[in-house]
Amino acid sequence: MSPKRLRLVPAVGTRGGPASWRRHRKGAPVAGHREGFDDGAWSFLYGEDTEYAVDARGEALEAAARRARTGPAPDVVQGPVMKPAVWTWEVPLYFWTGGIAAGAGFVALACDIAGDETSAATARRVSLAAVAPSPLLLIADLGRPARFLNMLRIFKPRSPMSMGAWCLTLFANLMAAAVGAELAGRKRAARALGAAAALAGGYLGSYTGVLLGSTAVPVWARSRLFLGPIFVATATATGAAATRLVLVATGVPEGHPTRLALGRVETGAITAELLLSQINERRLGGLADALEQGGAGKLFKSAKWAVRAGLAMRLLRRRAGPASHHAASGLYLGAGLAFRYAWVAAGRSSAQDDRAVAELARSRR
Amino acid sequence: MPERLGFFTDTTVCIGCKACEVACKQWNDLPSDGGELRPGGSYDHTGELSASTWRHVRFVEMLEPAGGHMPSLPASGGNGHDDVDLVEMAIDGGDRWLFMSDVCKHCTHAGCLDACPTGAIFRSEFGTVVVQADVCNGCGYCIPSCPFGVIDRDQEDGRAAKCTLCYDRLEDGLEPACAKSCPTDSIQFGPYEQLVERARGRVQALHERGIETAYLYGAADAPGEELAGGLGAFFLLTEPPERYGLPAQAESPLEEGVVPATAAAIAAGLVAAAGVAAAFALPSRPAPAKQLLSRVRGWPR
Repeated sequence: MSPKRLRLVPAVGTRGGPASWRRHRKGAPVAGHREGFDDGAWSFLYGEDTEYAVDARGEALEAAARRARTGPAPDVVQGPVMKPAVWTWEVPLYFWTGGIAAGAGFVALACDIAGDETSAATARRVSLAAVAPSPLLLIADLGRPARFLNMLRIFKPRSPMSMGAWCLTLFANLMAAAVGAELAGRKRAARALGAAAALAGGYLGSYTGVLLGSTAVPVWARSRLFLGPIFVATATATGAAATRLVLVATGVPEGHPTRLALGRVETGAITAELLLSQINERRLGGLADALEQGGAGKLFKSAKWAVRAGLAMRLLRRRAGPASHHAASGLYLGAGLAFRYAWVAAGRSSAQDDRAVAELARSRR
Repeated sequence: MPERLGFFTDTTVCIGCKACEVACKQWNDLPSDGGELRPGGSYDHTGELSASTWRHVRFVEMLEPAGGHMPSLPASGGNGHDDVDLVEMAIDGGDRWLFMSDVCKHCTHAGCLDACPTGAIFRSEFGTVVVQADVCNGCGYCIPSCPFGVIDRDQEDGRAAKCTLCYDRLEDGLEPACAKSCPTDSIQFGPYEQLVERARGRVQALHERGIETAYLYGAADAPGEELAGGLGAFFLLTEPPERYGLPAQAESPLEEGVVPATAAAIAAGLVAAAGVAAAFALPSRPAPAKQLLSRVRGWPR
């Protein structure tokens, strides 16, 4: 056979593994098969007549495992130890839109409590507009988008992904109903539905942090207790900033109490975000490398500088006029997006850092 | 209900033939991941477990050239006249290869199982962890939730896949394809308790023969020291786990952290909602400190 005709591509194989197992013929016998896995139990090494079959005491065994599995990690870690998440750009973008929706939900509730019905209605619309693309982004990221409804196949409190899917469904429906009620002229119903949505928003804005924190990825896992608060702070800041910009665009005058309050909310939330991130980075120690180096590091740095620039512009608003404050809101929104991408990118490089994974595992005990 | 079934992989008798990898691919109709020969690289072309490689014989190369050059052996094209005592080399333990047939651990506390939002991953009647390919929608959350880096999403197919411990064969009373094909009995299959007993005996025998670094990875640990609650597929190793790309300690990340993380997140959500409401309740005048700062000339630089 000439080399040209030599086919090296294997002709067998179906990706994704067997979809279902069915016997070709029901009850068909299998040649050479013995009951109770007897054919599998046979071993020339471990049969009862060999010297390997000895009685073992437990303590020596436990001690041997302890020796190998505790203490400092060896010099060589031959990875890969774990696999990074396969999520693409849709997921961090969803974290951002979902966060804006949750934050705007909080704002709508606060406006209602403060008695500003018009702004509350606007905030609810902002929230609905932000939550609308969210399911689409999540579906686009699935390996099998056509099966997106399987997400609601079970209710699984243990899995943040399951709870998040349910929460997003609940929030989006409540918010849509609230906006619908508003359009139908039922203000009290709109208020009640909006309040219920804001309550769901408390989880919608923060569960994404739990989702990342409950994985085996070192930088996420070690930030477990901080990721939820950090993400909800970003959500509040971006939600308030988006609502503020929309209110400005719809002609709410300068000096209006809602505009002032939203300015306070976005500044407070983004400052809290920056502070929490800083504390968390200190806590992480060497693991923070994933947040400081490479693509994630660049994103993080630019997000932080955007926040600082925004804070400065807000302080300058008395001199430079309201435009400077609007730019600050825009910067917060951009910073929020960069923070989301940075966290996801940091997880990828952290999972690929075999030494970090190995050392985190060792530090458990 | 049938008893728990598992694998005991004894790396001390593995010869790295990769028959298990091939048998697995053949039985489960899995495609090749492609191989790449890298000059100076590992002879292990498979590299890692993936959505279409459910058994992977990891080559742990501990070969170090003695005195700056590799000994000339007939197998490597040399004349074999170098004065090398292969038996001595093997006993010294410095120059050798370790082989380890890696596989899904079928953890008692399985991270992938905890993470799966669709219920596609379930625990079978044999105590194994199996993905239902007709339910999985490829959300990918199981992948970073596995502390052992086993499960993966197939890029072309879009679903997650991993070892099923040959669920279809078990239902027919047959041992899994890899165990069936293993020529040295490095891969042993059977009822879990029996396997652990056998493995204990094997470790003790090795200890008595002077290989004192032998230990079981994932079984027969003291209470509270188990890996992910105990591994359904456990290993006999002779080097620290990291040499084989295994974490020294592991637990389902959800088992470990989802409750405190959720508590912190929900608390933060409530604080945020309350904070927003509080900001609206505050009187509308700027804080004097900020006023002061904004008046400082040149601020911010």
